[in-house]
Order: sequence, then structure tokens, then C-alpha cells
Amino acid sequence: MHTWDFLATLADMDLLLLGLWNTIKVFIFALAFGIPLGFGLALGRMSRIPVLSQICSLIIEFFRTTPPLVQLFWFFFAFPILISVQMTPFVASVMTFSIQSSAFFAEIFRGGINSIDKGQWEAAKAIGMTRQSSLRRIILPQAVKRMIPAFAERSIELLKTTTLISTVSYADLMFQANDLASKTFRPLEVYTVVAVMYFFLILIFSQLTIRLEYRLARSGEGTLR
Amino acid sequence: MDYNWNFASVFAYWNVLAVGLKGTIQLFIICSILGLGGGLIMGMLRYAKSRWISYPAMLYVEVFRNTPVLVQIIWFFFALPVLTGVEVSPVMAAVLGITLNTIAFSAEVFRGGIQSIEREQWDAGKAIGMSYVQSMRRVILPQALKRMLPPLTSRGIEVFKMTTLATVVAYPETLQQAKLIASYEYNPIETYTVVALMFFVVLFPLVQLTYILERRFAKSDA
Repeated sequence: MHTWDFLATLADMDLLLLGLWNTIKVFIFALAFGIPLGFGLALGRMSRIPVLSQICSLIIEFFRTTPPLVQLFWFFFAFPILISVQMTPFVASVMTFSIQSSAFFAEIFRGGINSIDKGQWEAAKAIGMTRQSSLRRIILPQAVKRMIPAFAERSIELLKTTTLISTVSYADLMFQANDLASKTFRPLEVYTVVAVMYFFLILIFSQLTIRLEYRLARSGEGTLR
Repeated sequence: MDYNWNFASVFAYWNVLAVGLKGTIQLFIICSILGLGGGLIMGMLRYAKSRWISYPAMLYVEVFRNTPVLVQIIWFFFALPVLTGVEVSPVMAAVLGITLNTIAFSAEVFRGGIQSIEREQWDAGKAIGMSYVQSMRRVILPQALKRMLPPLTSRGIEVFKMTTLATVVAYPETLQQAKLIASYEYNPIETYTVVALMFFVVLFPLVQLTYILERRFAKSDA
């Protein structure tokens, strides 16, 4: 039977914490670009101009149906040759995950906006609001509340997907773990610690979003009963 | 943008990609059958009345839902052999990681589906003398399955995409084979574009199917 020894892993905890920080960095950047991009794609898909709506649908469906790892490889290995620039693992990861998650965010935005009763649009029109200002002032404030749980779930998916960037040698938590496992010859302890770290990272994040949901539920209609 | 696209260098290796596609499909079939089957059982355990059964099931579901699949696959590949002394092959590691993950996610779908059936249905089953297992099998599940079909199909699509992760343990699936071609022919652009399109062509009709299913069940349920 194997004797567990976490000392070697814990001694190099700073390596893992650095990896954790890098993971969080990519996650935040991907969210920061992915959400606005997703909103744009959603508006495009719902637009009344057929060409725009079809192009946006195609982009959304393409990024939803291809595996993120394939996309990452494409952006890291293929895209730099195509536009002849140097690509760092960080830039490739942020690009891939922004676009990939934006496709999913777009569907959440669309679902949320569509879930608002048509009467709201009509009421806004009746008091002389344009389509744009009714979207901004009437529809979105209500829709965003309904979207929070879906957003949270998608963000957690994104957080878990960031582990893929270890395959393009970006020093995220997973990469640091691989590094440490081969250095200390203690894969069991290293990967167990890393799994626990991911577990708590995601647990903390999901608890935060639940708290946000409660707060929003207090101010009128929310998703919690 | 003056790159010369040369897809011939990819198609010359179509048999290498075919091996990969076969590997992907094999992995997909094994993982989705075991994962969805296991998920049904896990979902019922999670719904069980005894806490001694439902709490461990909940712990399992939360652990596997809240850790990345890649960590799970790597854990099974590198850590499990140390713990048990048994050699784990790439295919074993991939199957274990993806299946156990799918069990956790689909368990939640099954639980949600079972819970969505009104309590009266259980009472009615009991009233005509059916046992718990009988009412579950004959009354509850047939209705619940209908509602669960769209989310389960999306789960299947996720599994198909997840199979690409098996490349990290060098299991010969589509992406792994593409890596070989790209490094042999120095044509990553064409190879990875072809692979992305392959996945798109396979999965796009399935995604459309989920939309149709969702719409149909939304109608027949109301």
C-alpha cells in the first residue's frame, strides 16, 4: 500500500498558488471579453437583418459544437501562421475562451431576453421608447436577473475548461501540477491536492453567485423562490 | 493573409484521421452508455429517502461536478496506479474520467426529471398497490424520461466534445491523430481546421435535434 506523503507537495505550494493565480487571470480576462462579445452575438442573432442574424447564428453554433481543445489548438498553432504574428499561450487562451464562452453567453442572453413578456416591449413602445432604449431600460434589467443562474453555471464550466491551457504550456494550475508531479515523483499527492484546490475554487465561486441571486431576489422578481 | 492553403496534405492522411474518428466514436459510445446508465442509478440514489444513501451520492455528484474533467483523467492516469499498484491504460483513464464525470452530471438531470413529476402520481401508483420500484419503473420514469430527453441529448454532445481530452494521455482519438499529422507535415492550419469542421459536421445535426426535441416536448407537456 502506498504511504501518503503530502510534505513534498506542500513544500512547493507557492508553485501551485502561482498556477492558481494564472488560472484565475485567464478566467477573468475570458469573462471580461466573453460576456460583451456574447451580448453582441445575441443582439446580432436576434437582429431583423437576415444576413447578420445568420452569420451570428453560424458563429454561435460553430463554437458551441466544436470541442474547446480543438479551438485552442487552432488558435495557438494555426492562427499565428495565418496572420503571421507570434502568439503567446496566454493570448491564445484568452482569445479561445473569450470566443468559446461568448457563444454560450450569447444563447443565455437570447434566452433571457426572449423570456421577457412581449407586452413589456409593447408598453415601452406605447410610451414612445425606441427599440434600443426599451431594451436598455425595460427588458435587460429584468432579463439579467433571470440569467444569473445560467451565467453562473456557464462561468463554472469556463473555469473548468481553463485546465485545457496546460496543453499549450501556459503555467496554469494544471500545468504547474504536471510540472510538480514529475519533479517530486508524487503524482498521487500532487493531483489530489490540485483536485481539492479546484473543488474549493469552484465551490467559493458558486457560493458567491448564490449570494448574488439572493440579493437580487430581494429586489423584486428573481429566480429564487 | 497570403497563406497558401493546402488541404491535400491533410487528406493524404485520411486513414490516420479515420483511425482517430473511430477512437473518438468508441470512446463516445462507451462513456455515454456507462455514463447515462450510471447517472440514472446515481440520480435515484440521490433521490433516495435514506440519508445514508442520498448523502454519499450527493457527495459523489458534487465532487465530480466541481472538479475539471482534465484533472480527473490525469488523476486516474497518473495517481490511481500509485494508489492501487494497477497499471492504468490511456483508454481506461479516459473512460474512467469521462464516465464518472458524465454520471455526476446526468444524475442531476435524472433527479430533476424524477422530481418534476407530481407527487400525486406516486400516490396514485401506491393506491393501486404498486411498490416503490414498480411505480418508478412503470409510472414515473416513462413520463420523466420524456422531459429529460433534451438535456440528456445535450449531455451526449458534451461527452462527444469531451473525448478530445483523451489526447492528453495519448489515446488515439481524432485530435491526437491530428497532432501527429500536423507535426509530421507542418500543416497545423489545415489539419486543425479539418478537425474542427469534422466535429462541427458530426455535432451540428445533433444540436438541431435537441432544439426540435425541446420544442416538441414543450408543446406536448403543456
